[in-house]
Amino acid sequence: MNVNTHMTVNRITDQIWEIPPSEKDGMRVPARIYATESILSDMDSGVFEQVTNVACLPGIRRYALCMPDGHWGYGFPIGGVAAFDPDEGIISPGGVGYDVNCGMRLIRTDLTLSDVRPRLDDLMTELFRKVPAGVGSKGSVRLNRRDFDDVMRKGAAWCVEQGYGWTEDLERIEERGCIGGADPSHVSDRAVERGHSQLGTLGAGNHYLEVQVVSNHRIFDLETAAAFGISGHDQIVVMVHCGSRGFGHQIASDYLKSFDKAMRRYGMTVKDPQLACAPFRSPEGQEYFSAMNCAANSAFANRQVITHRIREAFMAVFGSSAEALGMQVIYDVAHNIAKVERYAGGDLVVHRKGSTRAFGPGRLELPEAYRRTGQPVICGGSMETGSYLLVGTERAMHETFGSSMHGSGRTMSRGQAKKMVSGEQIRKQMEQRGIIVKAVSMSGLAEEAGLAYKNISDVVETVDLAGITKKVAELRPIGNIKG
Amino acid sequence: MPASFRILDDIAIADVAFEATGNNLSELFVAAAQAVIDIVADPTTVAKAWHRTIEREDDQIAELLFDWLSEIVYLKDAEGIVFCEAMASVVHDSVHRCWRLHGELIGETIDPARHELRSDVKAVTKHLYEVWENGEHWKARVVLDI
Repeated sequence: MNVNTHMTVNRITDQIWEIPPSEKDGMRVPARIYATESILSDMDSGVFEQVTNVACLPGIRRYALCMPDGHWGYGFPIGGVAAFDPDEGIISPGGVGYDVNCGMRLIRTDLTLSDVRPRLDDLMTELFRKVPAGVGSKGSVRLNRRDFDDVMRKGAAWCVEQGYGWTEDLERIEERGCIGGADPSHVSDRAVERGHSQLGTLGAGNHYLEVQVVSNHRIFDLETAAAFGISGHDQIVVMVHCGSRGFGHQIASDYLKSFDKAMRRYGMTVKDPQLACAPFRSPEGQEYFSAMNCAANSAFANRQVITHRIREAFMAVFGSSAEALGMQVIYDVAHNIAKVERYAGGDLVVHRKGSTRAFGPGRLELPEAYRRTGQPVICGGSMETGSYLLVGTERAMHETFGSSMHGSGRTMSRGQAKKMVSGEQIRKQMEQRGIIVKAVSMSGLAEEAGLAYKNISDVVETVDLAGITKKVAELRPIGNIKG
Repeated sequence: MPASFRILDDIAIADVAFEATGNNLSELFVAAAQAVIDIVADPTTVAKAWHRTIEREDDQIAELLFDWLSEIVYLKDAEGIVFCEAMASVVHDSVHRCWRLHGELIGETIDPARHELRSDVKAVTKHLYEVWENGEHWKARVVLDI
């Protein structure tokens, strides 16, 4: 088999591949990649280098993992998962990413395609107006420093207090949309200055807001789908992909710089400067953890305000209340984060970078409604190919620290994509296929062309076969907003 | 060779990488800034309506360039600015054993109706980051998180 590495890669199962610690100096645990043979052979060399670099970090437990949507990132590969002992291990901004708590939210409706199709253009125009996107976009929520401190501490709960959403929304957000231990005193003024005006904005790059349809024949598990509020029958749902915006980006930048110095102080070395880290229990490690939680809470708040604006847009177009339209949040998941989670052997600091928590049935962290099924796992595909709703499993708890994939993963650079297709061409092609696209930047649209991504169905099939998440439903786009 | 930059398509699949070149450090700083400016928005659509002077010092030239480029990313979000021009003067202060930058950034407040906006840069990264002297030229390789 051809793989883009000189290292030995052993087949454990048809979906699990292992690089033993003997393949690189300093590896403390094996590296495991979840992939079919075909996906593995297409993975770039960076994945193998980076996942084995992660395996060298102090205090890592069991495996350094990479999901099938994995590709070259900074420090950790995108799709990376690693868990560290809180007493002996580290925390690393490179294991979280610049966009802290970049994540996905899925909102259901009682509307069907036949209700929405005749008004789709109006709906997308209204959503584009209500949810600012693109470079430099500012949100409509005006915040002073004290308000923003409250956003950092309370996350989505602050939004609900201010009237942006429903109390029941909070039940359907990972960590109820508020992670404890977020202390604004560990956040720089520059981070606040970058982020305070961006609450309720999508951003750009691969972030989007998408109106999607769920057909009967694309539901794979009727019972779980029903528990999640998915009934099929060409049901309309809305997916949001965004994160903590400039605020989180600045926190990541600030701490990568300060960790550089902290590592020298603690006599630590890493294989890649983007893996800069500090002992989790050290003052520097705890300060980053606290600041990162501020950013994570701001991202939950960002998606909460966007949810409120989505409901407003639907109400304006369809002339009914959001309650009457059945616009409940299905779930909100983080896919760039580090968290302390309890496993059989005790607490672990789990880093997920381009990977989603995928807790199986019975976990007390889940809302009661999902404790029997396992948690919804929301995986976004390219804007042309669709997305998936999956469910977490017991197997993920044993194998992957309750983690799974997050999206389809790129296979082509932004520049290459732009050489192959223009934004205007994509907009027209998608319109011919019944998908309305509203984009701030046409070059940005071309960069996100479907041809630049792996086939999400292949990636989803891998995690389904591996049993670390199971397919529930496929979601097909009919309208997309991009920055 | 005039100060210039070129996009490196092969080393950052999800993001944007570039290599900047200058005959001296001042030119390198201008070329790298122009790369970031160009990646965020088409500078030919941006008017000269806003101006900021940036003074920085560092004992390492790579860190000084990193901070200079990071300042552009920060101002884009914090003040909502897109840019059309950058100027820079980099000198070595042998007394204090550090490099000193006097930089100027010119642009205007973002207006999506007039500006051709491109990529929203999240951060300047240290991934494969390098600043080096190559014969008569100074070069830098930079990966931006998008």
